[in-house]
Amino acid sequence: MSLSIAGMSWVTPLGSSVNDVWQQLVASEVAPVETLENEQNGARYLVRRVPTTLTAHLPPHPRLRRASAISRFAAAAGLAALAEAKTPPSLDRVALVFAISNGGVIYTRRFYADIVKSGAQSASPLLFPETVFNAPASHLAAILGISGASYTVVGDGAVGILALKLAEDLIASSDLDASLVVAAEEIDPLVCEAYRQWRLLRDPRKPDIGRGMIMSEGAGAVLLKRSNGGAEIEQIVPGANFFRRSEALARLGFVVARLKNEIGFCVGSANGTFIDQAERAAVGDGMPLYSPKIALGESVGASVFWQLITAAKALETGTLPPSLKPSVHSRALVLACGLNQQTGGLTLRFSRPGG
Amino acid sequence: MKSDEQNPRRVAIVAGGIVSPLGFGLTETLQSLQQGRDCVMPVTTFSVEKTRCKTAAQIDDGRLLSKADRRRRGRRLHRASYMVMTALGELLEHAPDFEPEIAIVGTTSGGMSFGENFYRTLGNGGACAAALIANYPPQKQIVDAMEKFGINAPAQVIANACASGTNAIGHAFNAIRTGRYQRILAGGYDALSELVFVGFDSLQAATPEKCRPFDSNRSGMVLGEGAALFALEEFESARKRGAEILGEIIGYGISTDNHHLTQPNPDGSGPRRAMEQALAQAELKPHQVGYINAHGTATVLNDTAEGKAIMELFGEVPVSSTKSMMGHSLGAAGAIEAVVSLLALQHQFLPPNINFREAELSLNIVANQARNAQLDCAVSNSFGFGGTNATIVLRKLAR
Repeated sequence: MSLSIAGMSWVTPLGSSVNDVWQQLVASEVAPVETLENEQNGARYLVRRVPTTLTAHLPPHPRLRRASAISRFAAAAGLAALAEAKTPPSLDRVALVFAISNGGVIYTRRFYADIVKSGAQSASPLLFPETVFNAPASHLAAILGISGASYTVVGDGAVGILALKLAEDLIASSDLDASLVVAAEEIDPLVCEAYRQWRLLRDPRKPDIGRGMIMSEGAGAVLLKRSNGGAEIEQIVPGANFFRRSEALARLGFVVARLKNEIGFCVGSANGTFIDQAERAAVGDGMPLYSPKIALGESVGASVFWQLITAAKALETGTLPPSLKPSVHSRALVLACGLNQQTGGLTLRFSRPGG
Repeated sequence: MKSDEQNPRRVAIVAGGIVSPLGFGLTETLQSLQQGRDCVMPVTTFSVEKTRCKTAAQIDDGRLLSKADRRRRGRRLHRASYMVMTALGELLEHAPDFEPEIAIVGTTSGGMSFGENFYRTLGNGGACAAALIANYPPQKQIVDAMEKFGINAPAQVIANACASGTNAIGHAFNAIRTGRYQRILAGGYDALSELVFVGFDSLQAATPEKCRPFDSNRSGMVLGEGAALFALEEFESARKRGAEILGEIIGYGISTDNHHLTQPNPDGSGPRRAMEQALAQAELKPHQVGYINAHGTATVLNDTAEGKAIMELFGEVPVSSTKSMMGHSLGAAGAIEAVVSLLALQHQFLPPNINFREAELSLNIVANQARNAQLDCAVSNSFGFGGTNATIVLRKLAR
């Protein structure tokens, strides 16, 4: 089943206007890098953060009063994607699907830190509900007034593919007209430390080498409807899991083989880790391959949506950043390889009016 | 495969597997349900010195880990992985040929206690084991279990708080019903953790007393843990290959209550919409339902809202919350209670709502002891933080 993207939006360290960020990607600009320090052990991490100004315009909804950054990013992206739809769907026939990996880690760390430091009697009843994976989705549903289906899907960097697949399955039911699919992540030193100990982060003393990833944060959102032109997701393939990093290539190869041929270029998930090599080998040397993570950083759960929006803009404008000109009739492959076992991919095409 | 909503497929349950405080496997679970066994006990896995609530329903680690892989990799896995392996092992004993196209499962916290250990070790200046990080994520436990049994399918992990397990089974049901899949592994899992335990304690949602769902003197929930899985298959496909069909899923409803992040709208409208949808999809009238396995956490707010919705919609249909026996296992609860509902249909009995003393609402509570009954259909409810409401309807196989 083909799905058209009726609206799309992102909140990234480079900005939140789809076109402005796109122009910066084409101009090979990269988001600024700053250093984050972990108070627990003094470790330092390179990170790309979303400027606070990007969520300052949000409506003063009670649900956002105490909400963490992740919920604010999600609200900004979700509202903008809905606003972009030429024909806004009736919200009682819209499902909300949310993709997440690390989730509301800032409040989770604070909540548990209080327990460790001062004992269970000090635990905050205000923070605990925000630690739940579906808290950002709940806030967004309340802000938008979505009262039907709402699903939060958790996983690694490929979770966006699984969430999009869930949305496709929901739209296949005649009960729904559209699905708003949103993903968001926030940066916290605890998450950075986990990836550092996993030896996946870039060495802060060597920021300019390409090895190791730079964590980032933000959100992405797409409003999906049954196909009616424009950017269309043709096929979504959630991949099998890999158990050793050496198996990632085989799993990605399986995903690529299941997707349709005539792919002109790939927007991948390369982030400076083992994924880069596996992904290149899976698509072959001849395939143009671009990863927005070079410029925007690794946003884990949100990353597939940044890839998807990049691919849609590349098809629409006929340019793959920085300057490649793929065939206007080609399809884009969005390939996702997570850091913890999951894989997946999708194909995207652009139907021009009268074309 | 193309979807075809006009020609919905029937969805068969061809196998199940379960581990919970009620027991290891379907047989032990059935016995515990029929005996009304109270599995709640003092918490042993972390300190509860400074919490108000001090009990939970726990799975015996000695037994859970007795068959664990003691090689290096196996030793590193979270106990939630072994819960899922136990449930999947039982399921595959009954359906060894079952090859799911996808796993759709629910959880709320995966390997949370590994995340706690990671944080504590870091604070103590110790070297953290990379295995804590690798085995903490919530998708890891189902992936571990599938690897153990050679199943190579994607894992779609739904984290809709306490409704996760029912949402997973319900979504899997719809995905087969609309013809998009033939075979899905569906269920849920969660293991007890300090962070979650203290969280519910901080909200004063957990009780220091007995768990008494729907009782006028109820004072809150107790936590539990476990895993349960169903092998779901398109009915005709299962019948043609001669699979044993244990029952059917025939309806699913989902709604979102935007009243509050942690509190249901007291008018019960959120749960009611989920139940109405599920009944409509099942093409059932309320009186055709023989048993309702309620969400029934024993918190004042949940039981009032759910009880009101059940009373208005179902009237005298028998209701129980089996959380009174085995605690609330969060992301696993919906899956475990779906298995409980299936066992009730297969063995024609009503599982009890134990610790019940005094009614508050005019509900037909299955108080304290299991009852024999003639049942064709059962409803299982799950509601959660974030306002998620989910209901499934199960039917026994007509002989």
